[in-house]
Amino acid sequence: MNLIFDIQSSIAAHYDRNAFCISQKFYTYKQFAQKISDIRLGIQQFVLEDQIAVGLITNDDIETYASIFALWMEGKAYVPLNPDFPTERLQMIIKMADVEFILDSSEKQVFHNPQTVLTKTLDTSGIDFDPKIISADNLAYIFFTSGTTGTPKGVPITFGNLSAFTDAFWDLDYPIGSDDRCLQMFDLTFDLSVMSYLCPILQGACVYTIPKEEIKYSYIFELMEDHKLTFALMVPSILHYLRPYFDEIDCPDMQYSLFCGEALPLDVTEEWSRCLPNATIANVYGPTECTIFCTDYTYKKDMTNKTHNGVLTIGNDMKNTFTIIIDHENNEVGIGESGELCLSGGQLTPGYWKNETKNNEAFFFKEYKGENIRFYRTGDLCSKDEKGNILYLGRVDFQAKIQGFRVELSEIEFHAKEALEKTNAVAVAFTNSIHNTEIGLVIESDKFDHKDLLKYMKTKLPVYMIPTKVKFVQNFPLNANGKIDRNRLTTMFG
Amino acid sequence: MEINMIKDKINQVLVGILEHDNFEIHDELTAKDVDGWDSLSHMMIITKIEEEFGIRFKLRELNKLKNLGSLVSLIQSKA
Repeated sequence: MNLIFDIQSSIAAHYDRNAFCISQKFYTYKQFAQKISDIRLGIQQFVLEDQIAVGLITNDDIETYASIFALWMEGKAYVPLNPDFPTERLQMIIKMADVEFILDSSEKQVFHNPQTVLTKTLDTSGIDFDPKIISADNLAYIFFTSGTTGTPKGVPITFGNLSAFTDAFWDLDYPIGSDDRCLQMFDLTFDLSVMSYLCPILQGACVYTIPKEEIKYSYIFELMEDHKLTFALMVPSILHYLRPYFDEIDCPDMQYSLFCGEALPLDVTEEWSRCLPNATIANVYGPTECTIFCTDYTYKKDMTNKTHNGVLTIGNDMKNTFTIIIDHENNEVGIGESGELCLSGGQLTPGYWKNETKNNEAFFFKEYKGENIRFYRTGDLCSKDEKGNILYLGRVDFQAKIQGFRVELSEIEFHAKEALEKTNAVAVAFTNSIHNTEIGLVIESDKFDHKDLLKYMKTKLPVYMIPTKVKFVQNFPLNANGKIDRNRLTTMFG
Repeated sequence: MEINMIKDKINQVLVGILEHDNFEIHDELTAKDVDGWDSLSHMMIITKIEEEFGIRFKLRELNKLKNLGSLVSLIQSKA
């Protein structure tokens, strides 16, 4: 696999340059190579040869990043495990992905079972990173996303998928070079993190991370200003946080400012472009299943931009992706008509991890340009204009995006109802006063103290899935079809 | 402004936004100690405090807020 050799040669070619800046400390490519080699040796010593998917505790440190590359060079995949998530959820992921070994850079290991390799205390030796022979079908990572029935879904991504992504990314011509300073603001359980560390490393650039205890948006601003960042991929919610302070921000060094993960409003983008006078701004789109993003739109400063309800278009297919928009019978709809966006191409996952039912729902074959091709249903309601620009209109199901994280509202309801026993509850996504999305929970009951309910939910779900507001109603309002009127419940918030 | 008055007002803002009063105001209090005080609500708390005291924080000042005590002294320096 060329990707692995490209990583190896980039690291070797940039020894004297900085690879990472973590908590204000710089690490050169040489130091990074040393860490990778040490961890590789640890993997060879302690992890069984036939174990492909290895758990990785996602701390914000050099060992965690080195572990990813060490696993790849050993032909293994990583399964990110955020130690701040509820233990029960992590255990579920460990079990689902058949993880038998975990790499952990913590002082004190997070799990006693399965077997843990502590990566901070490994012996050090010479630098060796000749990768093993890796094929396009080898797995690079498995990420778990929110599932409807209370169980997360595993999305395996192969090196073939990842190569198709990097190839298509360079083709966009948002170049990164060895002088660039690039932001990595994402939790390592979120696939936008992969682009944020991998693309800079492939070019000898420096990756700037965000310590977990810092407030993201203000820390990003300090990094941009103090370290003169030149490249940043962010979720739009960061812009909503920063918006009241736009008049303090002037970063002429920023060259490329990309957004992904949520709807990007045109008005904020216009204001943001004045904070970054020399930057190209782009809106990219892609679910975890079609790693990492697969459509792209370059924002046109001081010109007309394609929008729907004030939201920028997600643009056109990238090089290795085909998109179609279909009706309920899987037939393509006409130009300007709305339907479900479906994706295919080299970046598409082979399918959910050991989940035949979900695979049958989410993937289908369809004749496209004379070939029978596998497509993925995104659940996103979209339309295309005559130039192939895709407009995002909304969701076809009950998903929400919280700071870019995909959340199934039904998974939140599932756990709420488990705790409430016979009482009904509905989770809704609403927009708060600073235009970010929050989760509200409406309970069909007299008012009661819901502290214990939220406490229970926190043992089951990651923080971003916990409702931030709770309301009570005697009876749920129904819509014309006799279903619970979620839109009316949503208006109770915000 | 008197420190106790500042703390009182902060308390009101927190209760208003977080919709509970399950915390005690003291100098070492951090967001971690308070249910629901996360990055999402932090912004709204900050905005509300700015409104209540008629002040404006700089983006840089926000990173220096390590606990309630530092918030109180920052407000005191501005109000």
